[in-house]
Amino acid sequence: MKRDRELASRQMRRKKNVSTVVGIALASTLALSGCGGASGEAAADGEDVVLELWDTDTRPERTENLKTLIDMFEKENPGITVNYLGLPTDSYMQKISTAIATKSTPDLVTPKASDIAALVAQDALEPIDEQFDDGGWNDKISPAMTESSKAASPDGKLYLTPATSLADVIYYRADLFAAAGLEAPATWDDFYTAADTLTDRSTGQFGYTIRGGAGFFPQFVEMVYPKAGVDTFFRKDGTSTLDDPKVIKAAEEYAALYDVNTAQSDLTADFKTMVAQFGAGGTAMLSHSIGSYPSHVAALGADAVEGVAPFPADDGSTILTGWMTTGFSMFKNSENKEAAWKFLEFTMGAEGNSFWAEKSGYLPGNLEVADEPWVTENQPMQSALAAAAQPDAVLLQQPYYLPEFNAITTTDLLPEWQRVLQGDLTVKEFLTAAAASLTEAQQEYLGK
Amino acid sequence: MALPTLTERPKRILTVRAKPTAGRLARYYPYFLIAPAAILTIVFLVYPVGSVFYFSLQHSNVTQPWKDGFAGLDNFIALGSDPLFWRSLSFTAQWVVVEVGLQFVFGLALALLINKTFIGRGIARALVFSPWAVSGILTTTIWILIYNPSTGIGRYLADIGIGEYGTSFLAGDTTFWAVVLAELWKGIPFFAILILADLQSVSLELYESANVDGAGKIRQFTSITWPHIRQAVIIATLLRAVWEFNNVDLLYTLTGGGPASATTTLPLYVAQTAIHDRDFGYGSALTVVAFVILTFFSLIYLRVTKTKGDDK
Repeated sequence: MKRDRELASRQMRRKKNVSTVVGIALASTLALSGCGGASGEAAADGEDVVLELWDTDTRPERTENLKTLIDMFEKENPGITVNYLGLPTDSYMQKISTAIATKSTPDLVTPKASDIAALVAQDALEPIDEQFDDGGWNDKISPAMTESSKAASPDGKLYLTPATSLADVIYYRADLFAAAGLEAPATWDDFYTAADTLTDRSTGQFGYTIRGGAGFFPQFVEMVYPKAGVDTFFRKDGTSTLDDPKVIKAAEEYAALYDVNTAQSDLTADFKTMVAQFGAGGTAMLSHSIGSYPSHVAALGADAVEGVAPFPADDGSTILTGWMTTGFSMFKNSENKEAAWKFLEFTMGAEGNSFWAEKSGYLPGNLEVADEPWVTENQPMQSALAAAAQPDAVLLQQPYYLPEFNAITTTDLLPEWQRVLQGDLTVKEFLTAAAASLTEAQQEYLGK
Repeated sequence: MALPTLTERPKRILTVRAKPTAGRLARYYPYFLIAPAAILTIVFLVYPVGSVFYFSLQHSNVTQPWKDGFAGLDNFIALGSDPLFWRSLSFTAQWVVVEVGLQFVFGLALALLINKTFIGRGIARALVFSPWAVSGILTTTIWILIYNPSTGIGRYLADIGIGEYGTSFLAGDTTFWAVVLAELWKGIPFFAILILADLQSVSLELYESANVDGAGKIRQFTSITWPHIRQAVIIATLLRAVWEFNNVDLLYTLTGGGPASATTTLPLYVAQTAIHDRDFGYGSALTVVAFVILTFFSLIYLRVTKTKGDDK
């Protein structure tokens, strides 16, 4: 009898467990059924077309601007509606990968140049070379930007509209420089001297903010390669230049800023932290792209902040970094490719391009827009363009075409970079290992 | 009475033949009842877990589809020479032991304290339990603000001459204890709730009898209180150990697993590998290892803490 009772009790417990699991499963199913949604439904002739657009950067001001851009497009294209969906900036690729796997991708997306290789590898994006050529965009868009956009893809095709571009600059607090009797920095020596002069640890004032956290690599490249005078990521034999003695020397100087002319908390500083620190007046200089200029002006005022392009190397050569195309792409699974292309064209056309580039703080791809006053009066943008106009200027292309590039420079290198800043690893050890990883990826790419 | 002809079927025979069908139905009836639950369990539990095991034996990286295919044990062999795997495993062990240990000690102390009768006990209990009701992301937000070098506790300490400006507790030697503290804030109430629920079922007469018999506070705890709360402690410890082992939300949002992977748990490494790098093969192998570790230690723990009967 006792055994029977125990058995019955066990069965009851099992039933309870199964019921719990089923309950959770049902709840999950119900919850999931409410998520996601169909996209890219083909419209029958004469019916309105609905385009789904996923944005990978959901900063509030950008979202607002993008929605305005969509409104402008819809007014010009009655019959086409664009639905906006903002994805979390730090996990958008998860959502996109899921959509690719389940064949539920939207029509349009705003990938970063560094995402193109992964998306092309999944055969997810539609090449737009043909429409681009047929539309005569080769004559209307900056050839350098078109080239840069193609360079981001592993097969050299155009997937990302060369609508706008970023460029690296070093922002500095003009008011703090003036108060300290410093001139605007024009050389690397000026920069390092100013970083030291403007540091007063007793008051929490630091000369520079170093990016030790997520996304450290672009800032590292901006501050190291131009100073080293190395203009390529790979030598002719396909080996990485990260272990070049000149790169190592420049990187050692850069890393030495940490916890001397920067806050100790910079060890984990990401983009938002750096910009907040600069905007709050805690630091005198910051390396970032021209895209953040509107934020700095909003926080500090146009008179207090200026930007300069990374300085020429010791040998006088000018290396341009961070010239990364930012644009829009079309998914291969889109059932409304014609309407989607119209939207892409709108972002490259004078009206749309001017609005979007100005509001975003990006360099416009449209050659006509590049002469507009808002471009010619944007001081950091002009500094970047002046550097690009130097006869010996060379554009340093980051190898976004390597599928492993993102994983290497984030998951693999970030912890090691932080060990460098903490003094647990030498710069040379770090760069030697990093060079080996990139060399392996490049050799595989070349041999593929 | 007329005898049935050869062509007639006696009613009795019909009745006898009908019985096996009804019996079969009756026999399968329970299976029909549990079928929906079983199917859902297979679809939502067995299939996903099976997929992880399957992918752990595959090269599956969406950024390099040309390499996809059967990997055998390659992914598991690669774990041996992956420093991030060993670092995350080591941190996970440290994290679980310290977190569960401290949550138990403080949770027990808190439960014993608020089990006493005093004015404002209801408010005190509500305050003690409130962190448990706060979502993980909100907890992180609170602690990010506390640790913020510009506006948080570091700034105020620097103002009074302790430490330096621009110092973050999340960026240096203090990182481990800073994240431990944030998780304790949320985890202690869980232990306190479970232990308090059991404490309230202990008859006060037992303590009165023990007092009469001259038993001291320690003797009362070991002989009355502990046997009553033992089962609750075992369950709470096991649950917290599993949850802390799988901790992703707080660590991901507070430190991102850094600096220098110093706060990367094994599941966080899985998330970085499978979700960020989209290497599902290697990520699945890491998950299988985590699954095996958790299962092994859960079984050992339950075996070690098994009691012959109810202690109460």
